[in-house]
Amino acid sequence: MMTIAVQLITAFFGAMGFSFLFHVRGRLILPAALGGMLEWGVYLIGTRFLDGVFLPCLIASAFSAVYAEVLARLLKAPATVFFLPTIVPLIPGSTLYYMMHYAVQGDMMLSQTYRELTIQYALGIAAGISLVWAVVDMLHKVRAKNHGGDDRSPDRNVGNRRRF
Amino acid sequence: MEQDREQAKQVLHQLMELGEAMLVNGAEVNRVEDTLVRLGAAYGAAQMHVFVITSSMIITMVLPDGDEITQTRRILGAGGTDFKKVEALNALSRRCCSQPLPIAELASEIGRLKRAAPDPKYLCLGSALAAGSFAVFYGGSLVDGIFAALFGLLIYAMQESIAPFCMNKVIFNLLAAFLSGIGICLCGRIAPGLQVDKIMIGDIMLLIPGIAMTNAIRDILIGDTIAGLMRLIESLLWACALACGFMLAMSIAGVRV
Repeated sequence: MMTIAVQLITAFFGAMGFSFLFHVRGRLILPAALGGMLEWGVYLIGTRFLDGVFLPCLIASAFSAVYAEVLARLLKAPATVFFLPTIVPLIPGSTLYYMMHYAVQGDMMLSQTYRELTIQYALGIAAGISLVWAVVDMLHKVRAKNHGGDDRSPDRNVGNRRRF
Repeated sequence: MEQDREQAKQVLHQLMELGEAMLVNGAEVNRVEDTLVRLGAAYGAAQMHVFVITSSMIITMVLPDGDEITQTRRILGAGGTDFKKVEALNALSRRCCSQPLPIAELASEIGRLKRAAPDPKYLCLGSALAAGSFAVFYGGSLVDGIFAALFGLLIYAMQESIAPFCMNKVIFNLLAAFLSGIGICLCGRIAPGLQVDKIMIGDIMLLIPGIAMTNAIRDILIGDTIAGLMRLIESLLWACALACGFMLAMSIAGVRV
């Protein structure tokens, strides 16, 4: 229980640290840091009910992507501003380290185990965000179509000055 | 007309400046292309053909009278992410889309935003906080966190001083990983009771190209497969360089955990 609390708190501050590194604007830092903590919470819940690492990772990173999109609409900022600090706690730093550690020590079996874990984390993250971004992008396109034309296409601008 | 063409060339030049500034500060390729297309249209282009990858921009502006202007730019120094700048540039481009600024004013605005130096104390604070928090996050004690934070500051210092001299980021990652690895292992030897592995993990989080990887995935999904693949391979190389640097440091300093 204590470890979970520590992890959640440090996930919060870790995400906050990365917000500083990315020069996130003042009042956006807290939501970004909060996202990191919530995402790790989702991951922990995932590991409680699911086996392995890939699925909980997928769910947690999908959560980050959705969280970022929602906040982007609410707080009128690009989604990446919220997404990047939020996804950081999920990035497999420790498995990468142990993979190297055991490789150096000559224990190839353990190194292999950690390498596979790292890959599972990375793939889980990729799959989760891909899913959400694909859906969001499709929603964008549907909305653009319904509002009369895809305004990304430059070919519609023949001769006129368009005002966006 | 000659006059129009001259003006269009200047507008395009400024658009290149804006696009480059956004790219260098971490905006996604998709966002940059979109912004440039809209801005071009706002300034009177009939068509905008924009191709952007992380290391190059090629724009062809087709004028209403059928004349075409092409400019290219090589993007060097993929710098750090600076969302403040990206947002400011984004705001500027939004403004210009609804009310195009005269060229001189646009130029000075872009120049001002480009020159604005990032606040070093945020970078320091961020490096220390991130490294320290993650050391504890992965199971270290508070003391481990403090050491990780200190080495985080060291890494930041290296980024400021050594990075400009490194051929590319791969070399820098190798160097930074090696130097901080040696430092941390030595600390582990001098002060027993430190969990050297947790400290190193905390500092790995600073160097790991997780961000670059997620950006690469986004680029591939959006349809910029080339840009995405390039970034993906780049980030895999960085991760390998990181691993090699730390492995070298660990085998030399002989860590026994």
